[in-house]
Amino acid sequence: MQNAKDTFYITLQARLAAVNPSRTIVVRGVTRPAVLVEENELPSDAVPLDAFRLRWTVLKVDPQAALPLVTMACEIRYATDGNAGNGGMDRGRLLAAMDAELAAALGAPPRSVTKTSYSTAPPTALGTNVFWGDAAFAPVAVTDERLERVATVEVFCYQEAGEL
Amino acid sequence: MADLLMDSGAAVRTANVLLRGVGGRTVLLRMPAMASAGDVTEQLGLATPQFQDLELAPVVFRSARATVTEGKATRWELLVAGDAVETLVGSMGYGAAESLFGATFGVLIDGVLMTIESTTASEVRGSAYLYRLVVRAPLVQVV
Repeated sequence: MQNAKDTFYITLQARLAAVNPSRTIVVRGVTRPAVLVEENELPSDAVPLDAFRLRWTVLKVDPQAALPLVTMACEIRYATDGNAGNGGMDRGRLLAAMDAELAAALGAPPRSVTKTSYSTAPPTALGTNVFWGDAAFAPVAVTDERLERVATVEVFCYQEAGEL
Repeated sequence: MADLLMDSGAAVRTANVLLRGVGGRTVLLRMPAMASAGDVTEQLGLATPQFQDLELAPVVFRSARATVTEGKATRWELLVAGDAVETLVGSMGYGAAESLFGATFGVLIDGVLMTIESTTASEVRGSAYLYRLVVRAPLVQVV
């Protein structure tokens, strides 16, 4: 399961960076594409704006097939206050841009990728794929000047023998 | 006296002396090392950053609220001398105190790592002489 989570994150990060290379964040002094997995970062009360935050929630395992089918829900959260230089009046447009970038990255074919183990150096390709469905975009949550949305996507993989 | 206090240097020194006079103590700021550029292992939770603890003194540590609610983290207040913060900001190469506190993972006080919730600065002529940090104890410490 962890390999599928890692593979999905790396794939989504590369796709989002290709869609909009200028969307970056600085995490502990290093600039990288504006995508992160919350559970892999240092705990913080601060919400990174104009960035995509992945949160893994629901997990289901169907043991009926020869290889157990694993279904995981991935919440992709993003928020913006708009540009301060524009008085925040462009926050709707900035959120729409993030909606479009995420939809393009998730919807681009193929919607599957070879599952990879990143716990080895170099990363090792495994025998099955990770694949995902359409993103479900929740209504915008408005908190003062902040617009925030959660998009949920189901990610599927087969649990290979001996895989953790 | 009024002229002296209008001088930001005097305000900084006064705050420093006052904090020492009311039992100023030392706490440690726990700072994570910079992330590894081009290395995804930290992004995947496979590797953890190194931490370094930086001394911050003089500070006064006190309870920030009178009542403690069950299941809620206790909040504490740290009053920090402005010159101590400026020294750290300069030595660590940060542009501002806000950047330093923003990059801090927590404040180690008597062996308990507390999370910084907010920071405010008291200033004279644009120069900070005192910082007030609201810190939160971890929930496991709540009795």
